[in-house]
Amino acid sequence: MSDPSEALASAKAAADRIVKVKRLNACLTPISELRKSLVAQASAAHPSGVLYGMPVAVKDNICTLEFTTSCGSKILEGYRSPYEATAVAKLKAAGALIAGKTNCDEFGMGSSTEHSAYGRSLHPFDKTRVPGGSSGGSAALVAAGAVPAALGSETGGSVRQPASLCGVVGIKPTYGRVSRSGLVAFGSSLDQIGVLGRSVHDAARVLSVISGRDPKDSTCEERDSLRLPTVPESLQGFVIGVPKEYFPQDLDPAVRRASDRAIRLLRELGAAVREVSLPHTAYAVATYYIIAPAEASSNLARYDGARYGPRFNGSEDVRALYRTTRGEGFGPEVRRRVLVGTYVLSSGYYDAYYRKAQQMRALIAQDFRNVFDRGVDLLFTPTTPTPAFKAGEKLNDPVAMYLSDIFTVTANLAGLPAISMPIGRIKGLPIGGQLIGQAFLEDEMLEAAYALERAVPAGEEA
Amino acid sequence: MSVTHDEVRRIARLAELDVSDDALPLLAEQMSRILEYVAQINAVPASEAVKPFVPGPDAVRFRPDEVKPWPLAFGPAQLAPAFRDGFFLVPKLGQFEDAGA
Repeated sequence: MSDPSEALASAKAAADRIVKVKRLNACLTPISELRKSLVAQASAAHPSGVLYGMPVAVKDNICTLEFTTSCGSKILEGYRSPYEATAVAKLKAAGALIAGKTNCDEFGMGSSTEHSAYGRSLHPFDKTRVPGGSSGGSAALVAAGAVPAALGSETGGSVRQPASLCGVVGIKPTYGRVSRSGLVAFGSSLDQIGVLGRSVHDAARVLSVISGRDPKDSTCEERDSLRLPTVPESLQGFVIGVPKEYFPQDLDPAVRRASDRAIRLLRELGAAVREVSLPHTAYAVATYYIIAPAEASSNLARYDGARYGPRFNGSEDVRALYRTTRGEGFGPEVRRRVLVGTYVLSSGYYDAYYRKAQQMRALIAQDFRNVFDRGVDLLFTPTTPTPAFKAGEKLNDPVAMYLSDIFTVTANLAGLPAISMPIGRIKGLPIGGQLIGQAFLEDEMLEAAYALERAVPAGEEA
Repeated sequence: MSVTHDEVRRIARLAELDVSDDALPLLAEQMSRILEYVAQINAVPASEAVKPFVPGPDAVRFRPDEVKPWPLAFGPAQLAPAFRDGFFLVPKLGQFEDAGA
């Protein structure tokens, strides 16, 4: 596309499609505002950009100038950021159109998009189920065909898990591949902006544009943008490890069948497949749910009713202002995590929890290094232990909700790139398979994903 | 691992978070469950030999320390609940609680 009239048509068509799927509660931007902005953006977009005219929705915890950034929270209701995320600026520079802000669990804390102050998002194929989370709005919009791609963010699997449940592709890049400038901080040592797309190619194109160095983020590596690989004829020469810890005895039989079929296809494509072990996997969720809340309790200290968003009562003194604003502004899951994070960092508990979790994180990262050092190029696992679950099913049991991240948190803890792609269906509901790559070798990971995507009958029952 | 109501109150004070008395029983129960679950990492023997894992570049890079024009699309007056003459307006600073309170 290089014609301004085509870009304008694309903008209008995207707005129409987003209206059609309004029932999903996946897009938080009011439609009249979205329509107006899309038309303005299409007129201003640069026709030479590689994403010219492509509508890309953006998770509500990524700062945009066009729309409010509420992070799915009451505490930032109506908040308009005075700057935009580097990833968003890069998208616009490439000619993409920012197609509204997508619903998410508050501050990215959740696995179902039920923890949004603006109501839950619905699964695009079954309204009684969740689309996953926390980037559930982005996944649902892409799965419903409203946009070809959307930005999400990951701290423990928040792009890959909803991608798996909604039947789309989700990429979490290596920590440091994409700038975090303008991504509202949750767990700074884990957070990364990721991409959800209809296909590996759509997601990879967007990732390539948003990747690369950024002087505004000191944790972003000094590297050029990701270069996209070509679709390989075969996977001859690839060694793919299958970690046995990701296939426990109680794994949903259909998830196992779909994964086994994908592994067979990887072999047929020419890859050498071997079983490997990541022995500390069993402790990953526990490790994550110490480190992430600890970092969150610190990062979210800035929301106090003085500097951002609305202020809730508390006129008595400044401490009362902080406490009432935070008490009323945060939802139950954020409150819980801030409290757990404060607890594990508090005097007397720090060594037993936080320090120990840091040691575990190092062991988990070492597990991956050991496997990759022995000649394995990539790992294949299921993305989630089950397909999309019912809304409300895990809402009152935080530990059960946390366990839906069991196959995704390890890549975040180790800072590795990973991609989830559809590998089959269970009673009509999609399930995803995951490839985990070596740090900054997204190109290898994408090569294998391209090949698997072409081979796997993703729409068929497993 | 069982978290008491008093512990929840103490942690909530540290976190500057209002927690109503009605919310205490459920919060205490859920925090206890979460802390009991995450405590399983203590089953693995501590190893001081493992080098801490820090993702991202090995060395923190610094930008030149130079004064540049305000890079924002608009100033804090438009994003803060109350802002005047370059200051965020808040109620008076309260009496800080005693350490044991």
